[in-house]
Amino acid sequence: MAGHASVLEDGSLLSRLDRVLARVEWGMALISGLGAFALMCLAVVSVTGRNLFNEPLRGYVDWIETAMPFIAIFGISYVQRAGGHIRMDIVVGALKGRALWAAEFITTFLVLLLMVLLVWGTWAHFDRSFDFSKPNWSRDSSIDIGLPIWPAKLVVPVAFSVICLRLVLQLWGYGRAIIFGLSEPVAVPLVMSAAEQALAEADQVQGHDT
Amino acid sequence: TEWNVSVWGSRRAFTEHIHKIADLVSEKTGGEFTMNISYGGLSKNTENLDGISIGAFEMAQFCAGYHADKNRAITVLELPFIGVSTLEEEVAVSHAVYAHPAVAEEMAQWNARMLMTSPMPQYNIVGTGEPRDELAEFDGMRVRATGGLGKAFTAVGGVPTSVTSSEAYQAMQSGVVDTVAFAQHAHLSFGTINQADWWTANLNPGTVNCPVVVNIDAYESLPDDQRAALDESVDEAIAYYLENYGELLKRWDEVLEEKGVTKVMLSDEELAKFREVAGKPIHDAWLADMNAQGLPAQELYDLVFSTLEKARASN
Amino acid sequence: MTSIEIGLWVTGGLLVMVVLGMRVAFAAAFSGLVGLIWIFWSKKGYDPADFGWALTVAVKTAGQVPHGKVSSQALSLIPTFILIGYLAYYAGLTRALFEAAKRWIAWVPGGLAVSTVFATAGFAAVSGASVATAAVFARIAIPEMLKVGYDKRFAAGVVAAGGTLASLIPPSAILVIYAIIVEQDVGMLLLAGFIPGVFSALIYAILIIGLALTIKGFGPPVGGFTWRQRFESLPPALPIVAVVVIIIFFVYNPFGGDSWGTPTEGGAIGAFIVFLMALWRGMRLKELKDALIETAKLSVMIFTIIWGVLIYVRFLGFADLPSAFSDWITGLPYSPMLILVCILLAYAVLGMFMDAIGMLLLTLPVVYPAVMALNGGLFVSAEDATFGMSGPMCAVWFGILVVKMAEFCLITPPIGLNCFVVAGVRPELSVQDVFRGVTPFFVADGITIALLVAFPSIVLWLPSLAM
Ligand code: NA
Ligand code: NA
Repeated sequence: MAGHASVLEDGSLLSRLDRVLARVEWGMALISGLGAFALMCLAVVSVTGRNLFNEPLRGYVDWIETAMPFIAIFGISYVQRAGGHIRMDIVVGALKGRALWAAEFITTFLVLLLMVLLVWGTWAHFDRSFDFSKPNWSRDSSIDIGLPIWPAKLVVPVAFSVICLRLVLQLWGYGRAIIFGLSEPVAVPLVMSAAEQALAEADQVQGHDT
Repeated sequence: TEWNVSVWGSRRAFTEHIHKIADLVSEKTGGEFTMNISYGGLSKNTENLDGISIGAFEMAQFCAGYHADKNRAITVLELPFIGVSTLEEEVAVSHAVYAHPAVAEEMAQWNARMLMTSPMPQYNIVGTGEPRDELAEFDGMRVRATGGLGKAFTAVGGVPTSVTSSEAYQAMQSGVVDTVAFAQHAHLSFGTINQADWWTANLNPGTVNCPVVVNIDAYESLPDDQRAALDESVDEAIAYYLENYGELLKRWDEVLEEKGVTKVMLSDEELAKFREVAGKPIHDAWLADMNAQGLPAQELYDLVFSTLEKARASN
Repeated sequence: MTSIEIGLWVTGGLLVMVVLGMRVAFAAAFSGLVGLIWIFWSKKGYDPADFGWALTVAVKTAGQVPHGKVSSQALSLIPTFILIGYLAYYAGLTRALFEAAKRWIAWVPGGLAVSTVFATAGFAAVSGASVATAAVFARIAIPEMLKVGYDKRFAAGVVAAGGTLASLIPPSAILVIYAIIVEQDVGMLLLAGFIPGVFSALIYAILIIGLALTIKGFGPPVGGFTWRQRFESLPPALPIVAVVVIIIFFVYNPFGGDSWGTPTEGGAIGAFIVFLMALWRGMRLKELKDALIETAKLSVMIFTIIWGVLIYVRFLGFADLPSAFSDWITGLPYSPMLILVCILLAYAVLGMFMDAIGMLLLTLPVVYPAVMALNGGLFVSAEDATFGMSGPMCAVWFGILVVKMAEFCLITPPIGLNCFVVAGVRPELSVQDVFRGVTPFFVADGITIALLVAFPSIVLWLPSLAM
């Protein structure tokens, strides 16, 4: 259930921070998309090079593997803002008001805990491949053309740090909603029923069909 | 004590010494020290050193060519045309290099200690189409080869093309590569032999080096008798590996015949030419590169050849 | 506590978190991390002094997974397939396909509905996502069917069911995900999806024609197109053919020669052709940017589940749970075929409540080894196998079966996503209407699945040529 929740905005500090972070997240998501586009171009170069000039792209696989973390992970916070990571909403969908915000607060908190630990774990993964004293600062290289791997590994803790910031903002938003008993809090993805979600998705497809 | 051992793929000649050493230590310690061998469940093959460094498992196998920058010192063993001609020589040379302080120090950075090697014969190539038995025919040949072997084929105009070992079969079938360099067991287990029209019997360009390491903390915290049992079992496990691999090599000619694969022999002049362009220059480049990085490159390099001489003299 | 008991507790905890509405990706990663800490700590006898060590090792082990697992050439097919789908909208391929299908086959009884099924099958060849396919055709096909007097519920049902074909007919993100989880050849699975996909479409078409012949005034044939009009409708739909041919030829050359490359390259070249087509049809930078953002969103969403679930799978590796489960399954005193059917039925039930990708990712690490063990092991030969097919072939067959189950779940109540989408697009239809209209297709899907189980060669014929 890929979701497209709506995020409300107002003039509060929280909402302003939300929008600043949202711009960063949008940029990161665009880089993910450009990565997918680059993948396509890479294959065209590789196939034409091989078939027409007998000169395949050196290190084709190495380049793909380097690009993948950008494509697959860099946009994670953008998706989190919109509530786009899939879940089963049978139970959550039945909750209303404070009970709903409390449930969201708890699961969001667990996710924050997870992501903070994973920033640590993925940073350690990067750190093992990085050594200032070595050529290219590299202590881990790709199989074919020996590209240093640390830049691709660094992508992950960076993207995870951004989603940690996003989760903190969402906890703030849910916390306000619990305390003040809000019905439509800002800066958090509002739960849509599966049907509303489907409608939003369908809207998105419309207009693309020329 | 129970150790987790991380390897990859499926059980094959390449991993038999690990199963053997597990059996031996368990036997010698009366079941006090056991090993749980996992094929891919604990780590990705290129991250086994990372797993050892973390302490997630106690023992693992990896190949130097997967990530040269993680293990610069032992890449000397993957240089083309060192002249190793038997598995016994490969064991002798590998273990001598593993015992060098520069290797031990580099492994210690991963919290790893060399236990034993996984000797493999020379990586000869299988190919599709007309047999290539002259160097001139290697020009423009797309070959699946990594590390020093890739460099060797580049030197004669070949184009190393990266595909993983599990994709090698399809890459050959689809013409992404014309040839694949593997040891015999891998030509069998990855199916490239089924796709091949010919195999070079005497090209012998070099091989790939795949050590088995243990986590230093886990090794040192073993009770004395268990550590002794482990250390003592290495030679026996290697002997078993060699015997088992020998059987496979004996069957190899039958396999070739059965699959209708032509055995290609290159002439001595052609081989000498290959060695001239792909041997010395690549060795020199390696020496210069590793020296610049502060490794005792010449020492490691000389160690390979002195050990090789000794190994030959003792036979 | 044994590692298997830890495995069961953590798995139970994961299911509770998923039901309570935690995002599937994070619930899986969280359970995996907690499980790893538990396993490592248990090795030290739960000594409080060693908790810090267990935490560190677990976090660092989990921290390897996101980068390590997504850096894969095979997985790069997923963003490529998603990109093809988004570019296809801009290339105007949906309308072109429906127009061509209408002019060529609407003269049969139930003609427009049959045309819709074949147009969705054609669009499936450029789209990896079922839901998007249903949304697009709800807009194009339903109004035309209503115009000639179809029951609105049935018109909606046709579109909801036809949309599901996108996951079976390649390109299909879900087939790639299956291949990655079970470590089988992606190309073989994509190839294997073609015939069952087309077969499903044919069963749908036969069902519709049958209904049109028995129910009076159900769906009149639509004729009167000249041959000239028919041929004119073909060129705009040609890129579909190009993409299909390229993907097939990059996996397997039917003329016996070498195939043209790897599936990864085939997918990318297909995307490139659709991209050129979209440029030619007037796509500009703004639309390209939208397409890229949408591609990123869907890719990241899928990959987050992938690495999240793989952290859980890494924990399962340390707990050794999958092998325990497959020992249990193979030890059951029932026939393997009965057990397989029960597994498929369990997927049908689970799929009523769960998203297809999440469902497959969560269950396959445990279920797949069990099914392979039922057949006699990963490397069993066809002669010795329970189901009469070799290990790799069984992996392909089971993959197509579970993907077909996942498609079926898109149209079953209460959470049949395709039905929601169709109802969402057409204001005159309620979700209940669509569920009512799609009911006949349950029968069609049931027949399809039964035939795929009974005659595995429908699935395996094409891949066996390429083996
Ligand atoms: Na598709
Ligand atoms: Na459903």
